[in-house]
Amino acid sequence: MISTPHILVIDDEPHILRALRTILTAHNYKVTTAKNGEDGLAFAAAEKPDMIILDLGLPDMDGVTVCARLREWTDIPIIILSVRESEREKVKALDYGADDYLVKPFGIDELLARIRVALRHLAKSQGLNQNVIVSGDIAIDLTRHIVTKAGNEVKLTATEYKLLTYLANHADRLLTHLNILDHVWGPEYLGNVEYLRVFMSQLRKKLEADPKHPKYLISESGIGYRFITQE
Amino acid sequence: MSDKPIRAYITQVLYYILGIVGVVIITVILFQYRNMLNSTTVALLYLLPVLASTTFWGLGPGVLSAFIAFLTYNYFFLVPYYTFTVHQTQDIIALVIFLIVTTLINQLVGRGKASLTAAFSRERETTLLYEFSLELAGVTDAVGIAGVIIRRTTETIQPNHIELRLKSISDNPPSTYSYPDENKPSSEPNLAIPLETGRATFGELCLWLKNPNLDPHEEHILRTFVTQGTLALERISLEYAQSRSQVVEESDRLKSALLSSVSHEFRTPLSTIKASITSLLSDQILWETQTRIELLSSADEETDYLNYLVGNLLDMSRIEAGALKPDRQWNVLSEIVDGVIVRMYRSLIDYRVNIDIPEDLPIIPVDYVQIEQVFINLIHNSIKYAPPESSIHITARTKDETTILVKVLNESPHVAPDHLEKIFDRFYRVTEPERVSGIGLGLSICKGIIEAHGGRIWAENESDGFAFIFTLPSVWDRPSSLPPHLDE
Repeated sequence: MISTPHILVIDDEPHILRALRTILTAHNYKVTTAKNGEDGLAFAAAEKPDMIILDLGLPDMDGVTVCARLREWTDIPIIILSVRESEREKVKALDYGADDYLVKPFGIDELLARIRVALRHLAKSQGLNQNVIVSGDIAIDLTRHIVTKAGNEVKLTATEYKLLTYLANHADRLLTHLNILDHVWGPEYLGNVEYLRVFMSQLRKKLEADPKHPKYLISESGIGYRFITQE
Repeated sequence: MSDKPIRAYITQVLYYILGIVGVVIITVILFQYRNMLNSTTVALLYLLPVLASTTFWGLGPGVLSAFIAFLTYNYFFLVPYYTFTVHQTQDIIALVIFLIVTTLINQLVGRGKASLTAAFSRERETTLLYEFSLELAGVTDAVGIAGVIIRRTTETIQPNHIELRLKSISDNPPSTYSYPDENKPSSEPNLAIPLETGRATFGELCLWLKNPNLDPHEEHILRTFVTQGTLALERISLEYAQSRSQVVEESDRLKSALLSSVSHEFRTPLSTIKASITSLLSDQILWETQTRIELLSSADEETDYLNYLVGNLLDMSRIEAGALKPDRQWNVLSEIVDGVIVRMYRSLIDYRVNIDIPEDLPIIPVDYVQIEQVFINLIHNSIKYAPPESSIHITARTKDETTILVKVLNESPHVAPDHLEKIFDRFYRVTEPERVSGIGLGLSICKGIIEAHGGRIWAENESDGFAFIFTLPSVWDRPSSLPPHLDE
């Protein structure tokens, strides 16, 4: 187990770096900071942090490039910091393998929650594969291909099952539309977000108590979906 | 095309022949009565065909008939007959006088006719120019003026080919107009007249003529056409320059209005934040936990509001620059609305929100983030004007096969009917600026976004409140992207 998780923060704004270092250290994380992409990549390789917080607007290189370069050799969680105006870059970075994002300005509670989710996911992926994924009253039995809700079996079509298990296997992570389409339907369906929307709404009708206010299958502002692990 | 001069030539020859025939006829008649007439009377009578020829057929036939008359008079009527010799002094005088009189008559009649012709052609010229300037006054752009110049010149001069090369005038790019459209001669034009005033050159009129030398009349008309056309071009170019400078002035005015409004608007939340933070930093007072939380919450809320303002400013500048292109995807409207309500829960704490979106509402091809912004701005606007504890209703319906209709109804006061459209203008606020915060950008951004999606937005006073209503398309002409079926 990780005792004091090590976080690398890459951002060119000294004020943000100072604030994040203070806050995260107070929350018992070890913090390293880098003020540009080159330094960030060098620190990441040298110090092998447990996760990276990466700002998309860097002076020397595109945040998307940093993300892609990191993904060439490591799977450590990456959380993107972006502004609302760089919507497309953000989605691109997520498609390139970033785990999550936050829009500046953000509340620190939100950041801490995302960090916890990312670290939990890291711990899980290092452990053994589970046979049964449980969230709230939903249980997905991966060996027997059976989904139950409050103990009752829920009939799912093959595609619905594939979609649900893909999301649940990456629980609490933000998966982009493209990412899901690619893995569930295949690369030739990348342009058809509407498929995803339709199947997601079917899944919600079958699994959520109130499909209009989903607890498990959450959509993220036109970016993608997230399967939430409920206690 | 060459039978015209031939026909004119034949007519001319005919006139000469007629002149000769006239003299022959009078000679035959007079010859019958030769013994009853003296030579002076005969000479007088001979003036008749000469006069007739000059009057009706022109100077040439007149002179010819005078000459023939002179010869026949001498040959048939002066003793000795049938010779061209003359014996009596008196006859010689008669002959000479006859010659002088016919010449004089010819000259007088000819001059009269010439001035009549000139008067006719002047009248025609005046009519042409009048019609030309009348037509020019009726057109308001360079293309129209070029059309008038080409058509009128073609009608008047009838060149083989005509070409008008215009430089860039007002918002019309440099262009060439020609008639007829095809068969441009490969040779150089016979005549090229620049379209210029003392201040500027607007282009050039090139003509390929049938007859390389224009007669002075035609040339005069042509030059006047060109002058008038050039003045008309100058007129529209000046009008354009003037309207451009008005636009620039207007946009400068808007920019400074925006700047003063924005700086005022930004200072308000900044003041709250500054006051809260400095209070907490001050070590003179030990704040109670409850007060600390209140101070910090207000700072937190104001930062959100600042962020909203900045977002709107950026959206506005994108709309201005025409860069607000919707990145369309098939989206579920209720998902967008739910997301907004969750994001705005803190602002909505004092309001009841009712969402009525039917399950079977078609999915819509829209930019998620932009439509989200529309709802955020409309809800912000509702909160701004509606009293706390009131309700906000968000409803959506299928309007027809290609459109959905969305309504955001709140309990804010009615807006005067003549203001209903203006509230979507930039910097427009219904109440006096002091009462309500905001820079009046929110609704104009909604309008920009909805229109970029091919929809329409308007406001209505309803019996139970005030409503924003907009339409969005539920179809997308992207062929590969039909809405999928639910069954598998």
